Amino acid sequence: MIDSADDIVQDATLRANICIVGGGPAGITLAMELARLGKSILLLESGDLAPADDVQTLNEGEVADEALHSPPDKYRPRVLGGGTSIWGGRCVPFDPIDFEARPWMDHSGWPIGFKEIEQYYPAANTLCEAGDYEYDARLAVAGGMRPVLRGFAPLHFDVNRIERFSCPTHFGARYRDRLRADGNIRVLIKATVTRLRTSPDGARIDGLDAQNHNGIGFSVSADQFVLAMGGMEIPRLLLTSNDVHSQGIGNANDLVGRFYMSHIAGTVGSLQVNGPRDAVWHGYDVAADGTYCRRRIALRPEVQARLGLGNAVFRLHHPRITDPRHRTGPLSAIYLGQYFISYEYAKRLVSDSPPTLATWLRHGVNAATDPFSTMRFLAHWVRARTLAERKFPSIIIRPRTNLFSLDFHAEQVPNPDSRITLGQKTDRFGNRQVRVDWRYTALDIETVARSFELLRADLAERQTASLTLAANEPDIETVVRRDGAYGGHHIGTARMGASPATGVVDSNGKLFGVNNLYIAGSAVFPTSSQANPTLTIVATALRLADHLGTIARQVPRLSTVGQLVPAG
Amino acid sequence: MPDSIDFPRKPVLVLGASGFIGARVVEALSAGTSYQPIAASRRPKPGGIVLDATNPAAMREALRGAARVVNCVAGSNEAMVRSTQALCDAARGQPPGRIVHLSSMAVYGSASGSVREDHPAVQPVSGYGQAKIACEQIIGKYVRDGGDAVMLRPTCVFGPGSTQWTTRLARLLEARRIGDLGSAGDGCCNLAFIDDTVAAIVNALDAANVAGRTFNVSSSAELTWNEFLVRFARSLGATPVKRIVPRMLKLETKLLAPARKIAGKVLRGPATEAITPSLAALWAQDIRIDSAAAVDALRMPQTTPDAMIAAAVQWLHGVSPATRPEFAR
Repeated sequence: MIDSADDIVQDATLRANICIVGGGPAGITLAMELARLGKSILLLESGDLAPADDVQTLNEGEVADEALHSPPDKYRPRVLGGGTSIWGGRCVPFDPIDFEARPWMDHSGWPIGFKEIEQYYPAANTLCEAGDYEYDARLAVAGGMRPVLRGFAPLHFDVNRIERFSCPTHFGARYRDRLRADGNIRVLIKATVTRLRTSPDGARIDGLDAQNHNGIGFSVSADQFVLAMGGMEIPRLLLTSNDVHSQGIGNANDLVGRFYMSHIAGTVGSLQVNGPRDAVWHGYDVAADGTYCRRRIALRPEVQARLGLGNAVFRLHHPRITDPRHRTGPLSAIYLGQYFISYEYAKRLVSDSPPTLATWLRHGVNAATDPFSTMRFLAHWVRARTLAERKFPSIIIRPRTNLFSLDFHAEQVPNPDSRITLGQKTDRFGNRQVRVDWRYTALDIETVARSFELLRADLAERQTASLTLAANEPDIETVVRRDGAYGGHHIGTARMGASPATGVVDSNGKLFGVNNLYIAGSAVFPTSSQANPTLTIVATALRLADHLGTIARQVPRLSTVGQLVPAG
Repeated sequence: MPDSIDFPRKPVLVLGASGFIGARVVEALSAGTSYQPIAASRRPKPGGIVLDATNPAAMREALRGAARVVNCVAGSNEAMVRSTQALCDAARGQPPGRIVHLSSMAVYGSASGSVREDHPAVQPVSGYGQAKIACEQIIGKYVRDGGDAVMLRPTCVFGPGSTQWTTRLARLLEARRIGDLGSAGDGCCNLAFIDDTVAAIVNALDAANVAGRTFNVSSSAELTWNEFLVRFARSLGATPVKRIVPRMLKLETKLLAPARKIAGKVLRGPATEAITPSLAALWAQDIRIDSAAAVDALRMPQTTPDAMIAAAVQWLHGVSPATRPEFAR
């Protein structure tokens, strides 16, 4: 069932076997999986079924360098479904190398291997509605996918790895009926958790305090608690709950909130392909199951090891929209229509330079002189995106010439100085807001810069294409700073480690030193991979559900709480 | 008439023998050595007998000499009830050894969760479901009066020959009117493979300790309608599978279905195949039919979904358009 905390009376105590905090992809996945065990599941979501400004303000906070990182209330919708409500849908599994302790990368290495996660990827793919768990371009589509560049077989890159696209699936909308129908699940919306209450010896979570939107307080007791509110709210709640653990829960070794990673991502370069236009394919192929698939140009793991780099991928991309010299009508039409695009998407597409009247005019001329491609693009967009349930994933526009740019999406290495802390301002419940101090390292820049050089060399070897930095790109670091931290990827702030010295949670996601508190989501990832996090968030949530299921079966009579009772 | 020990093959009267399941039962009985089918229907195939099952006198006549009866009569709700009544009335005068009566999962109505045979009906129950309940009540009374009957409740009978659940769904998938239905297809897909269903019927004719009992007949594989439809579409080659927009499905059930049905009175074809509200409701219904009892007592085989789909696709692709069954109404 789905209830609203607005109907709760002051000081009510809700009981459940397992309490999950946060109704994003991790929380919803956990709830649906754990409900199969016949356990009572209480899922607390601060937001409503639809986004609302008043609750979104709870995510406000400070950013150390606003040029590098978006405000904390962006990309983090407080709503049932969480980040999937604005998700682009890109699904990519992590690579085996991501889990290894790499001598050239400090703080790398997971306490579990790739196989541990891989077994959950097929089910995660299903929940994300991204079709089969098949990420090889030769097998994902019957007959193989079209090559990005005909005849291109680079030495340093694997061109057969792909990304698959979810519908994109808004977990709150897609699984609402299931959550509502399941007798073991109770979703409580508009329920904001304000504090975790620890037992006097600090070894257990006795309960948590929450408030509804009207400020009515209530509490929850449960056998197990799972935090699944995302990589910023999790450290915030752990650090805020400092009545027994004075440094915050799980923070005895000062790890909570540190190692904050996103991805080093953006658009770079000017790539002139030699040969006919049909020798290039930078769009999507459709698998038999209906999913859109796209090739990536992935830095080979042995190259990463040999050169001491992080993981990275490239994709062919249309020329930068803001630069009217592309003379491509549809791109200029997007520029002109930027105020109709949400902040989260417009930031990437058009935000790098303030528009001037001259730029506007030049884009207007482009759109007017290329009317047929503009109309074709718009018609396709309306049919395949606006009206479709499985949406065409992104803007794919053939430039008039064979001139492209490169999308890059690279691993950001773990860095203890990149961190989420508590700021000075408080929210309306009196809790301190987050302060984001996102930092990149020399190795982060090196990964992109060296990969770019390697790709340039591979493309030049058989005169496939020539790749240069664009005129307004003096070096890679400028490009990285221009695009900043990739929005919406909040990784590593409660990292998994082999011991409390290196991690906040153990290999199962349980907080070191606290017996019944687990963390789900990308906060536990010790490294960030080249891959977007959502698919792995769902896979790790499935793994955690399995683990909690095993515990529940082992100690069926150890429940310390009764049956779920109605509120009020 | 007592069980005939003089005949090596027991005569089995199959009512509704020209229908999809009836014809397959006749085929199976003919292929075996224990039974001699008497194929009865309103428009019999060669070798069958003409029977209007709603006619009590004709039913009495047909029952003469039958050692077993399989009741597969389909048709209007009224015809099903009247023929079941005629059968039980006739059988009271001259009891056959056993009646195997085909009911349906529709008797459970809107039930959800795991459903065994003792599960009560949950409203709303479709008109078809209500008719099947009425038939079961008639059979129930016959049993209470001392008759021997076994009731089977198949789920969606799937496989070669099935117009309702094979040809129809294939056509809709090929036309991309259905596919991946999103949350509208999260319901549990309960399919009964035709061969498994026929085996359950044949085994019920003489199984011990089943008199008066009722059995669910279904595959026990757990899969959602979405999973089934996507697998079926891929096997058919109806790819890429389309994700159906919820408002299109609503438009189909609310607006187009009545129009298609009316058009179907005049001409038949893919365009007149309606997606009715009850069909759409089934795709979303979280009902898991538990058929463990039939597996146990009737030795019902359990064909896997992939094998079922493979057989269905082979049949669909092998059948020429001329002999392909007409669309189900």
